Amino acid sequence: MNREALFIERAGQVGVTVIAVGTLDEAVERAVELCRERRVQRAALWDAPEMAPIRAGLRAEGVEILDPRGSFETLAHAEIGITGADWGVAETGTIVLASGPGQPQAASLLPPLHLAVLRADRIVPDLATLLELCGPLPSALVFITGPSRSADIGLVPVLGAHGPTAVTVLLVAG
Amino acid sequence: MPDRPTRIDLIRNIERALRDESLQRQMGKAMPASRKARADAAAELPEWESLRSAAAEIKDHVLANLESYLGQLESQVRALGGVVHWASDAAEARVIITDLARSRGVRRIVKSKSMTTEEIFLNPALESAGASVVETDLGEYVVQLAGERPSHLIAPVVHKPTGEISDLFVKKLGVPRYERPEDLARVAREVLRAEFLAAEMGITGVNFAIAETGTLVIVENEGNARLTTARPRIHVAVMGIEKVLPRLADLSVFLRILARSGTGQRSSVYVSLLTGRRRVGETDGPEELHLVILDNGRRRLLADPDLRGALRCIRCGACQNECPVYQHAGGHAYGSVYAGPIGAVLTPAYEGLEQARDLPFASTLCRACADVCPVKIDLPGMLVELRARAVRTGLAPRRDRMLVGAWTFFTRSPARFVLAGSLGRLAQRLLARGGKIERLPYPLSGWTAHRTAPLLASRPFRKRWKPPQEGPQ
Amino acid sequence: MKPVALFVTCLVDQLYPHVGEAAVRVLERAGCTVAFPEEQTCCGQAAFNNGFQEEARVLARRFLDVFAHAPAIVAPSGSCADMVREWYPRLFRDTPALGDLARSIASRTYELSEYLVRVLGTTDLGARFPATVTYHPSCHGLRGLGLREEPLGLLRAVRDLRLVELPDAEQCCGFGGFFSIKFAALSGAMLSAKLDTIEASGAEVVTATDVSCLMHISGGLSRRGSRVRAMHLAEILAGS
Repeated sequence: MNREALFIERAGQVGVTVIAVGTLDEAVERAVELCRERRVQRAALWDAPEMAPIRAGLRAEGVEILDPRGSFETLAHAEIGITGADWGVAETGTIVLASGPGQPQAASLLPPLHLAVLRADRIVPDLATLLELCGPLPSALVFITGPSRSADIGLVPVLGAHGPTAVTVLLVAG
Repeated sequence: MPDRPTRIDLIRNIERALRDESLQRQMGKAMPASRKARADAAAELPEWESLRSAAAEIKDHVLANLESYLGQLESQVRALGGVVHWASDAAEARVIITDLARSRGVRRIVKSKSMTTEEIFLNPALESAGASVVETDLGEYVVQLAGERPSHLIAPVVHKPTGEISDLFVKKLGVPRYERPEDLARVAREVLRAEFLAAEMGITGVNFAIAETGTLVIVENEGNARLTTARPRIHVAVMGIEKVLPRLADLSVFLRILARSGTGQRSSVYVSLLTGRRRVGETDGPEELHLVILDNGRRRLLADPDLRGALRCIRCGACQNECPVYQHAGGHAYGSVYAGPIGAVLTPAYEGLEQARDLPFASTLCRACADVCPVKIDLPGMLVELRARAVRTGLAPRRDRMLVGAWTFFTRSPARFVLAGSLGRLAQRLLARGGKIERLPYPLSGWTAHRTAPLLASRPFRKRWKPPQEGPQ
Repeated sequence: MKPVALFVTCLVDQLYPHVGEAAVRVLERAGCTVAFPEEQTCCGQAAFNNGFQEEARVLARRFLDVFAHAPAIVAPSGSCADMVREWYPRLFRDTPALGDLARSIASRTYELSEYLVRVLGTTDLGARFPATVTYHPSCHGLRGLGLREEPLGLLRAVRDLRLVELPDAEQCCGFGGFFSIKFAALSGAMLSAKLDTIEASGAEVVTATDVSCLMHISGGLSRRGSRVRAMHLAEILAGS
């Protein structure tokens, strides 16, 4: 199985929805559709070049775009957090997010839905490869494998313990 | 409060646990499920055994060069703008952290799950310093509301049935009675979200600290550790000295074995690699980062060649899940922070064998723990060693001395062994009823409390043995 | 003919001599000449496991003397074989000469099924045993000596024997030597779980490689009034 297929399989097994798209334009369409379906009114978006078309698309839909540099309190009101993903790890179905200016952790953490845009050529086979490649470390490099979960109460898995209930990855062909 | 003056009455605690039907039901459900999850996850990787060996080797290398890696870690963390504090024991660690809170006027603190902070009895100290402390891991939150302690390394509330949590939430939070775990989790999420937003300080443990980069690695499923480290102005991370790893590249082995051993996941949901405090232009992450590096008996353990290996522990909980004694006893019976096989080693090592003298004996030496430990800690060997130390220092109870004394007296020579049989057969005539012994006197009464005793044979094997005929037939 | 020395174990000697006799028959059927060094008593495990290492060392010394020249030492007990193999070398690690002897003896000591299958390469001993049987893998044989398939292979080769699976087979039965007296209630609870699975298996006979676990299990079965019998593997293999 190639990396991309393995990533899709493994991410799916931990409850991540992976939507494979051919182009960034298509990713924009799917992001807008998703927000429409979910009746999203406020979105927290990372400040990144690849986010610009999504931001424009959502604005056209009348979605309020929250300033990613805004406070936690503000970003906590978003119904969706849209971020990039620096890497994907095939073995575990993990996405890897580096935080930085305009790219706060809050966006992948506070809203109930996390949408990440990952380029297929950024998928590495495993953790060991990732750690070799990931270079100088940002203040926070976070590996995300599925939605927030807890099985503390009654051994029953519950999603969205503190973070998002759902994670969707828009996988853009390399 | 923090220092334990009295002996842990393990036997009575276990007997109480055995009478607790809801605990037995709960553990009887949870432990087999955890065992299966781990076994499946390990079986998926053909390289599992070599991962375990690699992890053990890295840990041993760290332990052999500990001070140098800790020094490297300290300078890296400092270079990133963090402050490193060294605490030789629990009291020092409490002073360091409460002083930080007091000097910065901190009123509200959130905490993510950390066994190390349990070990130093941090919460009461912070509360005395005038700050509120809220545990934010769902299980730890329940434990805190109930005024209890975690009973398992990664499933702190595994001992508690859902119904009790429903009642607890009604009583402590004044919410309607919710039955379903998802509703209870939602209630907790709302309460805790408000705590995160209000907190000035976040306290976490550390799963791994990378000497090469000064990175603190925190592994979790819920996201509460991310919130604890991303939102409050001050982050205080507390780690035992043994948590350091040399290089970033070492992390992959440990992340792979930790999640699979603990919960059977391929990866935990969130692994945060935190390198320094908030940087220019960033809007989350702490403005102040403090790393408290705790000894609290670890260097003493390091100097103990027979027990040093216990410092490899990565707190995955697999030995607890696998241990039949832990399953029946529950974590609280062990009377300390660390329960199960690793607790039976660490508690005597950290708190003294005198207080914890029964713990190393609470094992059939079935070795299930050793088979699953992802860092190959020789837990049975350590239990045996601690038992020997207990005996050498006169801590063995009279009954043990009687039983073993009699046993070794009568097995010291074949003649005595035959004599023992003859004496036994005489006694047996008095004890047997209808060819069975259902009651034995002290010190053997424990046997017949649960089982029929076997009868000695009328003639031992050695009297029945006929050597084969020599020579040609 | 392969010469072997039988370490019959103290429990078999006094409580279950027929198991020792069965082990001899099985070994002879597999082509061995069996010797029984009569100076043997006990491997010392009961003392050792309870922390009395000095006392254990005295018994271990005796074992080393008695079996010093035995070409192969076979015991109808995974636990005692494991004591010799795993712990003797550690027990004498501070006395080089004895340490060497302990390691040498450790390398020549086997549990019965292990010796039959791994060393002699036999699984079919021509036995017949018409009953439904389940197998409890004793911890020290299983995890100490790594015996998984060996006893099962021997049982599968027995004519008219119907082998049924024991649920949660690898869970400890709760014996643990003096543990069973010291932590009597806990040992009883572990036993009770084991007995439930034995009865649920539908077996008429539960077998194992160790009389120690079987003594505990059969004591529990008897107390329960169960119809299931506990028998050592050697007794089944000696059946004809």
